[in-house]
Amino acid sequence: MNRKKGDKGFEIANLNRIKLNSKQCRIYRVRVNDLEAAFIYNDPTLEVCHHESKQRNLNYFSNAYAAAVSAVDPDAGNGELCIKVPSELWKHVDELKVLKVHINFSLDQPKGGLHFVVPNVEGSMAERGAHVFSCGYQNSTRFWFPCVDSYSELCTWKLEYTVDAAMVAVSNGDLVETIYTHDMRKKTFHYMLTIPTAASNISLAIGPFEILVDPYMHEVTHFCLPQLLPLLKHTTSYLHEVFEFYEEILTCRYPYSCFKTVFIDEAYVEVAAYASMSIFSTNLLHSAMIIDETPLTRRCLAQSLAQQFFGCFISRMSWSDEWELDQIVAYELKTGGVLLHPIFGGGKEKDNPASHLHFSIKHPHTLSWEYYTMFQCKAHLVMRLIENRISMEFMLQVFNKLLSLASTASSQKFQSHMWSQMLVSTSGFLKSISNVSGKDIQPLIKQWVDQSGVVKFYGSFAFNRKRNVLELEIKQDYTSPGTQKYVGPLKVTVQELDGSFNHTLQIEENSLKHDIPCHSKSRRNKKKKIPLMNGEEVDMDLSAMDADSPLLWIRIDPDMSVLRKVEFEQSDFMWQYQLRYERDVVAQEESILALEKFPTPASRLALTDILEQEQCFYRVRMLACFCLAKIANSMVSTWTGPPAMKSLFTRMFCCKTCPNIVKTNNFMSFQSYFLQKTMPVAMALLRDVHNLCPKEVLTFILDLIKYNDNRKNKFSDNYYRAEMIDALANSVTPAVSVNNEVRTLDNLNPDVRLILEEITRFLNMEKLLPSYRHTITVSCLRAIRVLQKNGHVPSDPALFKSYAEYGHFVDIRIAALEAVVDYTKVDRSYEELQWLLTMIQNDPVPYVRHKILNMLTRNPPFTKNMDSPLCNEALVDQLWKLMNSGTSHDWRLRCGAVDLYFTLFGLSRPSCLPLPELGLVLNLKEKKAVLNPTIIPEAVFSNSQEEEEVDMDTVHDSQAFIYHHLNMLERPSTPGTMSVHHAKGWCVI
Amino acid sequence: MANTAATAGAGGSGSKQDSTPEDNYYLAWRRRLQVVVSSLLTEAGFESAQKASVETLTEMLQSYLLEIGRSAKSYCEHTARTQPTLSDIVVTLVEMGFNVETLPAYAMRSQRMVITAPPVTSGPVTPKALTARQKKSHPPHVPSHFPEFPDPHTYIKTPMYHEPLSDYQVLREKAASQRRDVERALTRFMAKTGKTQSLFKDDVSTFPLIAARPFTIPYLTALLPSELEMQQMEETDSLEQDEQTDTEILPLHINMDESSAEKENASVLQQNASLSGSQTGEENLIDNPYLRPVKKPKICGEVN
Repeated sequence: MNRKKGDKGFEIANLNRIKLNSKQCRIYRVRVNDLEAAFIYNDPTLEVCHHESKQRNLNYFSNAYAAAVSAVDPDAGNGELCIKVPSELWKHVDELKVLKVHINFSLDQPKGGLHFVVPNVEGSMAERGAHVFSCGYQNSTRFWFPCVDSYSELCTWKLEYTVDAAMVAVSNGDLVETIYTHDMRKKTFHYMLTIPTAASNISLAIGPFEILVDPYMHEVTHFCLPQLLPLLKHTTSYLHEVFEFYEEILTCRYPYSCFKTVFIDEAYVEVAAYASMSIFSTNLLHSAMIIDETPLTRRCLAQSLAQQFFGCFISRMSWSDEWELDQIVAYELKTGGVLLHPIFGGGKEKDNPASHLHFSIKHPHTLSWEYYTMFQCKAHLVMRLIENRISMEFMLQVFNKLLSLASTASSQKFQSHMWSQMLVSTSGFLKSISNVSGKDIQPLIKQWVDQSGVVKFYGSFAFNRKRNVLELEIKQDYTSPGTQKYVGPLKVTVQELDGSFNHTLQIEENSLKHDIPCHSKSRRNKKKKIPLMNGEEVDMDLSAMDADSPLLWIRIDPDMSVLRKVEFEQSDFMWQYQLRYERDVVAQEESILALEKFPTPASRLALTDILEQEQCFYRVRMLACFCLAKIANSMVSTWTGPPAMKSLFTRMFCCKTCPNIVKTNNFMSFQSYFLQKTMPVAMALLRDVHNLCPKEVLTFILDLIKYNDNRKNKFSDNYYRAEMIDALANSVTPAVSVNNEVRTLDNLNPDVRLILEEITRFLNMEKLLPSYRHTITVSCLRAIRVLQKNGHVPSDPALFKSYAEYGHFVDIRIAALEAVVDYTKVDRSYEELQWLLTMIQNDPVPYVRHKILNMLTRNPPFTKNMDSPLCNEALVDQLWKLMNSGTSHDWRLRCGAVDLYFTLFGLSRPSCLPLPELGLVLNLKEKKAVLNPTIIPEAVFSNSQEEEEVDMDTVHDSQAFIYHHLNMLERPSTPGTMSVHHAKGWCVI
Repeated sequence: MANTAATAGAGGSGSKQDSTPEDNYYLAWRRRLQVVVSSLLTEAGFESAQKASVETLTEMLQSYLLEIGRSAKSYCEHTARTQPTLSDIVVTLVEMGFNVETLPAYAMRSQRMVITAPPVTSGPVTPKALTARQKKSHPPHVPSHFPEFPDPHTYIKTPMYHEPLSDYQVLREKAASQRRDVERALTRFMAKTGKTQSLFKDDVSTFPLIAARPFTIPYLTALLPSELEMQQMEETDSLEQDEQTDTEILPLHINMDESSAEKENASVLQQNASLSGSQTGEENLIDNPYLRPVKKPKICGEVN
């Protein structure tokens, strides 16, 4: 039995209705100041389009959905639950007295908002490791108790949870005390959260958790599921450093008096931050032997902690201010050095697709997940731009100012109007920036926040020897979708023989050409070190460069102060110099990408040099591997010597005495570990003149697998072995098939036979000695799908379907489902598509359902302009039903369904449907189906603005209405075995 | 008599699955014992006996005789002889609580029945022991009554003709192929004994995949390191500690860290105290609300 309490004062004059958010809850009675109050419950998002049978137009749906979400938007003062304040109390309201609202409600087997994990084994709930936690996308607290589900409505909280004595309830704020119930079989956890917090930042996790008090900071407590304590110890062992770092850099104390991290299974997202607690996926836990997971997990932990400052403590004013919090969090991550080196490749600066969106961007709940991730990405970039503009010092001062204002406000216990300082809005943020730094960043905001799109530059140059001038031509493309025009300063860095020089060009409407004077005369014979941008002086072999020109390389916008994509033309030797001698990681990556177009021995040499250079950033070296493979393939006819990278690998990682045997694993140096992992994968992409993987390479990889010996290694080699299987998969080329014969064992290619042998052995060994996160199984499944696709093995989804079942580790399931999705596309299988759709509706894990939709959208069985036997009316109806009413318990899932519908059928009425009935008029000119104007007056939404007129006195009717809706949720009647299954509560507002 | 029992006992336990003459021998021996029992019973005045009781008595007699034989053999071996003598048997009988004095009188009793001697049957054929090379004859200083030398293979040292493998390449090769063979054999065995999946519809044996089996708690196997890995981790850790004993820097560093952490804690604790007002402020004790004991309910109870 859970009880939740909140105290809140309303100070609105002429208040006769109180609107709250609530979903799924069964509300029994509502009292206002102990007087019975009438209420009505109406959730328009349960079924977006009512009473219509054949309308299948996505435009129509999106509008209806956006309207439905606004109709209950708490920021607009709306809500699903409308309570009529008894007339006796109207006087109270006029006198600005406090109203207390009591709501009796229960929550019975919720489909969203709270997720129950109950393993199907013997024993009590605690022994089985059963647990429950709150989850959801954006503000989703309304799924488990009635509240004002907005980030901008702050109040203090008193929370009580009564759970089985073997369980621990973790929630927001300080645990004041834990008391047994009278029968001593249950205990009640009393929480107090004195810092004003929005309902959306309230969370809960209950389970038989193992408790670990952080050895460095006793007010930090970590929780994990039974048996995982050793992993928890290791995983959280460095968290105190993050704390120290943030507190130091923000010169501000951590706002809450405690911090709790809970690691749970079947997580909705990897990290979810709530006030003073964060809920993580248990799959982030790792032991000291795991290399690859460590930085990812640390990033998640650091992110959750950053969100404690911005997001939980300081909450956003409205959805449109969300960008800031995201940015700040991301920004802190970057400065935190936790993220090793953020890479801003040109491709990453793709922007929000501006036009032709198939969803409304006014509400977080109508956003496509894809859009949301891109949104976060851009937010991070914009914040970086602001930092570039006003300097990091000022930026930190701004943060500090926001935090100190907020913490002053939060200590004002009884002046809730002061709490608005704890919210941040775009304008407020800008104001404090201009106050602190004295700089006006309005143009920047206008360009990058108000507008969407990315700037596209095309650059080329010529060197005028007579004038000793560099003639630079920069063109812009602002007509293609997703681009915008840029006018303003642009920095160009020219590396000359005498040093590196920065020039600022003014990009204007019509000026394309820019003359840049060169500082150094071309010289040849004077042997002198060449100074670089960072002050370093190096010796270079200048024989490759043009004798007449002093230019080594040119970079446009090296600091990335514009969200842009640059395509710059310079000669191959310049790219090679840039790769070798430019110390900027981004520049190195740019040059690697550019060198793909220059398959020459010189490029090969430059890339090999980079591969060998220990000081070079490991990701650059990994990228160089793949580029080298591409170059080798382009120059296959002239390539001399052993396959690319083979001798290098042998030199670096094989025994001196017997070069065909790899050394026993020693992953102490992470840089070389990553290189050792990547090189074979890239090598497997090599192709000979017949477009086959050279036999030598395959033998080499098979030998690596054979001689792999991890006995003396401090670290696990599971990721390494998984990559070796990826390498095997990469080496597979399409089978030569004669007359479409059926694939049997007898006509199996002998190389493929060897590969299959390895995969079989690995996959079987995984059953006996599973690897961390089953990375090897995942790679094996992918490799089998590659073999199927290339026609070596008969295409068959049965294997993948068995691995996709509930009960396998989530990574395996996703990999298997990906293969099934791919099969559905390649083989156009209606049966598998149905199987996937059933899983989307019925799978117990929300993340998996979301992921299937996501994968189907990325790799769709057909698209809107394609004729496919799969595209039929039944499928349209099925998907329509899914997004219309089947996914009302999960915003993310519904948006995913909308995305899929859009990918499959487009915005307008699907072409496979028969001609619409009389209700629709087909406008042939615009190729659009529109609702017949004669039926529009029949209100599209039951919950529109006229709702005020709803008769509030018919309490019984309204309850019938709720029951009707509750029944529509189609809950399966599984017996509630955990005490918290039946949540019943009083909500005092 | 004891002697025969002993050999019979030894033979009985040694070669059961041998062919029919062996069995015949034991059947005859058993029948003879039954005759003895029956005659003793007749002597004692019984006119008839149930088969079951005769069998039981036979069994008892047989055990008794076997025990005499076994015990006598032990005594004789104890005194470093190979053949039991009369005294061994006497000692045995005494040991078993039998009054030896009464034996002659009993043997000479008047009403005893005489059983005809059994027909001579061929004793069990002891299978020929494997002989490797010639047995060595006694050297001159060893008296001939001493037992013969055992087979040469039991004491002769076989010289090693191969040097132990020390070549790195060969070793690695061996280790790799050995591991691969073990893994292959093991997985094939698992695949044969359990459910399998196959990549080819027409063939299930060439690439047998052990069928995927869902777990009830999948994250445990996925996240926890295997026992083997744990062991490895401990080993490498201990190796490292050995390496690090020389350097004093590390422990010093840790100490510094701890002291600074404690300071931090102290300040935080103070802050906590000011916030909640219920803090005792003991620095050495970890005060975490989740570690506090659960309170008993108040008698009157809290009403919500």
